[in-house]
Amino acid sequence: MTKYLLKRLLHGLISIIIVVALVMIMVYSLLDRNHIFAKDTTYSHQSNNSKTVYMYYKWEEYGYLDYVPYADYLQEMADNGQIDEETRNKAVAFGKTADDDSEIAGKYVEKFTKHYEDEGYTVVRLDAKMQGKNKYANGGQQQLFAYKDVPLLKRLWSYFTGIITIDNINKVENDVGERGLTFTLYDPVYGGDKFSPAIMGNGTKSKYLLYFDKKFPFIHQNIVSINLGKSYTVNQGIDVFDTMTTSQGSYVKSTITYPTGLKEESADDLHTATYMANSLHSSLVFETRYVDDYTNVDTVKNNMSKIGYSFVIGVIASILAYLVGVPLGILMARKKDKLIDKIGTVYIVFIMAVPSLAYIFLFKAIGGKMGLPTTFDMESSSKLMYILPIVSLALPSGANLMKWLRRYMIDQMNSDYVKFARSGGLTEGEIFSRHILKNAAIPIVHGIPGTVLGALVGAIITERVYVVPGAGNLLVEAIGKYDNGVIVGVTLFYALLTVISLVLGDILISKIDPRISFSSKNR
Amino acid sequence: MNDELEKFGLSGEELFSRVDHDSVDSEKITAPKYSYWHSVFRVFFRKKINIVILVLLAAVIAFAYIYPMVGDYDKFANLMDSSAKHLSPSKAIDRFGFSIHWILGAGAAGNSTFDAVWHGAKISISLALICAAINMTIGVIVGAIWGFSKKVDVFMTEIYNIIANIPYLLFISVMVMLFSAGFWTMVLALTATGWLSIAYFIRTQVVIIRDREYNLASRCLGTSTIKIAMKNILPFMTSIIVTLIATEIPSYISYEVFLSYVGMGLSDMSLGRLIYEAESAMVTPGWEFEFWSPVVLASVITIVLYVVGQNLGDASDPRTHM
Repeated sequence: MTKYLLKRLLHGLISIIIVVALVMIMVYSLLDRNHIFAKDTTYSHQSNNSKTVYMYYKWEEYGYLDYVPYADYLQEMADNGQIDEETRNKAVAFGKTADDDSEIAGKYVEKFTKHYEDEGYTVVRLDAKMQGKNKYANGGQQQLFAYKDVPLLKRLWSYFTGIITIDNINKVENDVGERGLTFTLYDPVYGGDKFSPAIMGNGTKSKYLLYFDKKFPFIHQNIVSINLGKSYTVNQGIDVFDTMTTSQGSYVKSTITYPTGLKEESADDLHTATYMANSLHSSLVFETRYVDDYTNVDTVKNNMSKIGYSFVIGVIASILAYLVGVPLGILMARKKDKLIDKIGTVYIVFIMAVPSLAYIFLFKAIGGKMGLPTTFDMESSSKLMYILPIVSLALPSGANLMKWLRRYMIDQMNSDYVKFARSGGLTEGEIFSRHILKNAAIPIVHGIPGTVLGALVGAIITERVYVVPGAGNLLVEAIGKYDNGVIVGVTLFYALLTVISLVLGDILISKIDPRISFSSKNR
Repeated sequence: MNDELEKFGLSGEELFSRVDHDSVDSEKITAPKYSYWHSVFRVFFRKKINIVILVLLAAVIAFAYIYPMVGDYDKFANLMDSSAKHLSPSKAIDRFGFSIHWILGAGAAGNSTFDAVWHGAKISISLALICAAINMTIGVIVGAIWGFSKKVDVFMTEIYNIIANIPYLLFISVMVMLFSAGFWTMVLALTATGWLSIAYFIRTQVVIIRDREYNLASRCLGTSTIKIAMKNILPFMTSIIVTLIATEIPSYISYEVFLSYVGMGLSDMSLGRLIYEAESAMVTPGWEFEFWSPVVLASVITIVLYVVGQNLGDASDPRTHM
């Protein structure tokens, strides 16, 4: 059993890697990379050479290629001490065309070209675009840079090795004074006199590595973090995993004691402090509150995360679907060809055939007529707004359950063991609940983990129609905004959930049905 | 003699009578004539409801194809006329006089909603039929090979596991980006991986009946695999394939509606696109017709297709021919 499951998991992981690779090929190679500028106003305001440079600059930011401007190359040499500042200043001023280069600039341009062409880069030199004799056209300054597409394998490798990062005291490169971990029994966030153990670090990315607070599950850590891919347009600079899991809504303020001792009403969550280089003296706000460069804090908000909303709605809807669908499916099978079966069949046909969009709108219209709120509002305390999204999700999945359960039960009704049970004098009720249901439920049970985990993904149409701030819309939004990081991250997340739910389903059915065994001997 | 029969309550037909020996007839083997498709339609038309639905289906499809051909529909004919926009049926008829164009009111561009939905229906039905034809053909052939060959099975199952995990939306959007959002792009996007799930379904069915005793016997007698597939298994699969078609065709219409709704659909004014563009009209009093007309038409088409297909699928199962 364990061996079989390990094999399944391993297979699943390999498929996940291939899926991510395929998706990367799709988004980075097949899609026209000019599309990312479609809604970019900065891009449309640029012209001539600076437009070209801006494109390459953005492509590097989006992870398409590696882009090195000539000036950066010289700066790096100056930083390494290979050339002095004076040479750099002279070399950086290359001419409007290659013929206009000064001697020293020509030398370094040649060096730059050779260095990067040897490494497989393409070096591009754009001659100045002039307007009249001595005046540059708008954005027409001469440009020189090298670029190289990031190869798939390198991208895959850096992606998968970067998924899990473990914080350590050498994480921060800048000088932070003495590096090390401190263990305290009195967490300074609570004023320093309340008993609350915490581990704090200096030199680590996060200041608090382990701490307690009042929120479930009470003990929290910042040592291991998950990075699925950085977002560019959907939620700028934030990782997909954080986009899905951070709370939303308006700020919750409470009295906070900052490290300098300043007390203030604020929504800052000091436990989330991370290092931001040279930030302490960059603003007066930080100087009056913090004592070190760990100034980047999250804020406390009052509502659930995207996944939270999707999960709550999805799980309640699934429970409702099972509570309604299973008894009705059994009833339909027992009263086959009677009125209840016919009504049920009409309902199933309606759900199966009609486009889901159509019946969700129908539910919305009916709900609206009944006075239920038809749009979701995070700030509202009313629980009524949950009703329509939950019903819209539960009714179709209930119909699906009814359809399959009825089919499985009717298939079982003619088997020998049922005839035997009947000839043994059992009542129809006993036969259905003790014998048929047990056998018919196995394929249904196999789908339960998938239903529960699938709730995390959210429902695209339902969440859009009712404006639920859930995770279902993330992929659509990312595709619409060409956010490659989010597309890849969300795909990985989906694929992982599929693999896990299939394996969990296998475990579950082997637990409830002793005949099913995954060890190779009995198969 | 008749008096005598009546005494026992019998008629002349019930008595034995002498049959002459016919040497030609006695050479023929006399089993009742059985034609598979004949029986399928006999069973199908036995239910009166099927005739009604079939007529409805034929009417809808014929109307969707003929109506756009005869009427000249210009979406932007009344674009500059601000009094022609968003009219309810009664107002539209007041405004333009009674004609079939205005029985569902006018849309956002002052266009006839009735014309718009039937043009949309034509596009949506065409898309569904073409996609279903391509996917079913490829799916059934690949599925049969997949089910028969154990080597292909190992390979294809891995491929299936991988491709099934790629978000379909992403795949379609890549296709749309690569080739522009036209009709044939959508066909390509829906068929490029769409056959895989059909093939997987067929494969499972083939695996179930592949090793039944009668097939084993056929193989022992030296029947070639192709002949087993064509003569032993294909007839068994007919009802499964018909049932599958019944769920597939409406599903493409639903899928097109869904894609249009998330903004990745066709550039043509299909039913899905109409629903997407009229979404805001749903809650505006007096505008409801422009939203509900395409929704209702899409629902009617899919339900009729589904029911006809399901019942045809039931009828094509030989076990119901008794």
